[in-house]
Amino acid sequence: MGLPADVDLLPRLLAGEQGAFRELIGAYQGAMRAVAYAIVGQRYADEVVQDAWLAVVRNLSGFQGRSSLKTWLLTIVANTARSRLRQNRREVLLDDLPAPHGSVGDARFAEDGHWAATVPAWHEDTPEALLTEDELRECLEKTLLSLSDLQRSVVLLRERQGLELEDICNLLEISLSNVRVLLHRGRLKLFATLEHFEETGQC
Amino acid sequence: MLTCKELVARSSDLLDGELSFRERMAVRRHLMLCRNCRRFIKQMKLTQAVIRHMPESQGSDLDDLAAFLAQQRRDNP
Repeated sequence: MGLPADVDLLPRLLAGEQGAFRELIGAYQGAMRAVAYAIVGQRYADEVVQDAWLAVVRNLSGFQGRSSLKTWLLTIVANTARSRLRQNRREVLLDDLPAPHGSVGDARFAEDGHWAATVPAWHEDTPEALLTEDELRECLEKTLLSLSDLQRSVVLLRERQGLELEDICNLLEISLSNVRVLLHRGRLKLFATLEHFEETGQC
Repeated sequence: MLTCKELVARSSDLLDGELSFRERMAVRRHLMLCRNCRRFIKQMKLTQAVIRHMPESQGSDLDDLAAFLAQQRRDNP
């Protein structure tokens, strides 16, 4: 989906035009959810997003356009999530949860650090071709769900929403090195799912 | 010379442009010589593209929420 240009959208939002809100929600709610998930977890994420939308409407007249609407929205949702989080901030656990198809682990490499076996070629080489399989889509969703809330959010914010790593650290208040580790391990798990599907044709 | 295992460990940083000049050169040198790693990086990029292209589930209440927010805005300009 193309993102609506702020200059276009803002006056319509200020006028309270329903279609403009629909565009805004359609474009950014996914990213807002990902931020909320990362900070408060799945259980409270929807509530936080709802509260954040109300805060957005309340503060819309004060939006100065110093940042993009997207950045502004994501900052509001991060702040809303943080105020919801009364307990101490969760530790960033870098222990990995197992994904359905594992990852690219040490077992793939020989002792000299080279691949132990050939990396198999994939039948399809475009995302469109790969995604024609419903089963693969479901399988990737399953892998995404197997990630921790924080890891899933980092992966989605980077890969789907295209945020810069630095913006992700700031929004989620975790270090750049944590973001890099979470992202890398998440990618390897998704890679393993795709590879398994390419090899076996099954999830 | 970088090993394949080290290259895989740095693969995300390569995709994100987080490698120093020196590291980038080492990765490039390795990729020139290693078909498996070339294939792996290509598949990692494809994995990224697949995630980017996956349809995002929208809440079914999108219209209701939009109507509600628009109303809130009009009530409290």
